[in-house]
Amino acid sequence: MRARVIALGQPSAGDDGVGVAVLAALRARALPPDVELSHLSDATALVSLLDSQVPIILVDAVLACPAGQVVELGPDELASSEPLRMSSHGLGISEAIGLARALSDGGDVAPVRIVAITINRPERYGHGLSDEALAAVPVAAARVLSLLETDHA
Amino acid sequence: MSNTTRTIQVDYLARVEGEGSLTIRLDGDKATEVQLSIFEPPRFFEAFLRGRSFMEAPDITSRICGICPVAYLMSSCHALEDALGVHVGGSLRALRRLLYCGEWIESHALHVFLLHAPDFLGYPDAMSMAKQHGSWVKRGLRLKKAGNSLVALLGGREIHPVNVRVGGFYRAPTKSELGALLPELRWGLGAAAEALEWVATFDFPTFERDVEFVALQHPDEYPFCEGRLVSSRGLDIDVRDYDAHFVEEQAPYSSALRSRMVHAGGDRGTYLCGPLARFNLDFDQLLPEVQELARRVGLTPPCRNPFRMILVRLVEVAQAFADAIRIVESYVRPEASFVAAPVRAGTGFSVTEAPRGLLYNRFAFDDSGTILDAKIVPPTSQNQLSIEDDLLELAPLLASLPLAEATHRAEQAVRNYDPCISCATHFLTLKVERT
Repeated sequence: MRARVIALGQPSAGDDGVGVAVLAALRARALPPDVELSHLSDATALVSLLDSQVPIILVDAVLACPAGQVVELGPDELASSEPLRMSSHGLGISEAIGLARALSDGGDVAPVRIVAITINRPERYGHGLSDEALAAVPVAAARVLSLLETDHA
Repeated sequence: MSNTTRTIQVDYLARVEGEGSLTIRLDGDKATEVQLSIFEPPRFFEAFLRGRSFMEAPDITSRICGICPVAYLMSSCHALEDALGVHVGGSLRALRRLLYCGEWIESHALHVFLLHAPDFLGYPDAMSMAKQHGSWVKRGLRLKKAGNSLVALLGGREIHPVNVRVGGFYRAPTKSELGALLPELRWGLGAAAEALEWVATFDFPTFERDVEFVALQHPDEYPFCEGRLVSSRGLDIDVRDYDAHFVEEQAPYSSALRSRMVHAGGDRGTYLCGPLARFNLDFDQLLPEVQELARRVGLTPPCRNPFRMILVRLVEVAQAFADAIRIVESYVRPEASFVAAPVRAGTGFSVTEAPRGLLYNRFAFDDSGTILDAKIVPPTSQNQLSIEDDLLELAPLLASLPLAEATHRAEQAVRNYDPCISCATHFLTLKVERT
């Protein structure tokens, strides 16, 4: 397998589901061969996937202003740029990567890049994205494709 | 003996689900005050259920918690079915039991390996523990994943399952879909047994407290959704009589209600529900091979040391895997995925055994199925006073320890209960006031 693209987030929590929308946009495009698309509701499952050495692109929402921007992060940048985790339980992305490093021989885990869409804090449960998040979905999908095609993942 | 007074103050409890803090005021070796303060904002689920259709109640209440949504689904369904006079039996009943097995496995595994084991081994967190005990952390994550797989298959997804409804399920799995899980379930049973032997080597503080244990009890099985409410001091009631024996109160320092037992109008005091209560009251209903696993590590009822709850959780993980294997092996797909539930006005009651303990639901609705009133009492509310009582009795030990060690021991005592306040984060901060 060449790479994994993994969406995180909850579609029933409004813009927190933006990663899933990016995944849907990617499925409608021609992807490079041997790329797996999947959705994880719990970042804890990342720990075993990081052990496989297959490069991973994570797609998720991050709380930041202004909303609707697409940002690309390395895992070590995540803690400083994401002031509050969006998941409801289990490990967050930073914790999952940290735990995978602690469990691996020599701290060696799969390369990870994060493509995130900035969002405002969701105020209620509900399906559907805000206008800013919707507009950012194709931009984020294009960024993911660019990473896949240049093997930067 | 020192006349020093000091305060153990923990502003933010870590490795628990939710937001809470702890204050213990010591005068010499006696605790003059213990406050487990929950400052998680109240979320008013009971209020906004009013006016909704009863069919929405399972999906709404499952959002109360991301760790134990199945418990809320089961409790709400059973309470609604009680009001409607609906009985769910046969394969549908077995599927509900299997779904609950999945939740117990994932919840207990997460707690044992990532939240509580670090306390016993002297690590601040699972990440530090993973460097020396990586194989156990990996095993714990794989156990959790096995539980997640059961919930995902039966519930439609791992978090906030969507396949559960009044009367059963929206879709029942095929025999082959369930059968595909068997290899991992069998691995899980063996792994749980090995983990039990490992955790049995931990150093457990010597501590016992005489407390009334309360749990569901069923004549034929280790309890999940059905049975009578019993206690170690003679309580034996139908779940419909819960409100006559348990009352909720609010402490000024906590946003969460907490529960006491009452009897004949008088205060009967605190009680304890959850794994230790189930183990002590329902040991004979554990599957024989699981009883043997417990005996092998010297764990038999009555066990009154709350620090050994981590062992009991692993016994329950083994029980859940063994039960799941039996259900999958004997499963016959039902012709209908749910039992029809004609609407009628009524009030229904249920108690089910969430991973952390008793979860009580009461619903009243009119003849259109519109909810008029709802009451939901989660296990952590019910155990709050017991946690404080443990800390009161631990006071002489805490007073004798240096501050950092006292803080650790106090937090470990809180984590014995795996409290679900909702959304685990950062740790306790201890403040000492010496006078």
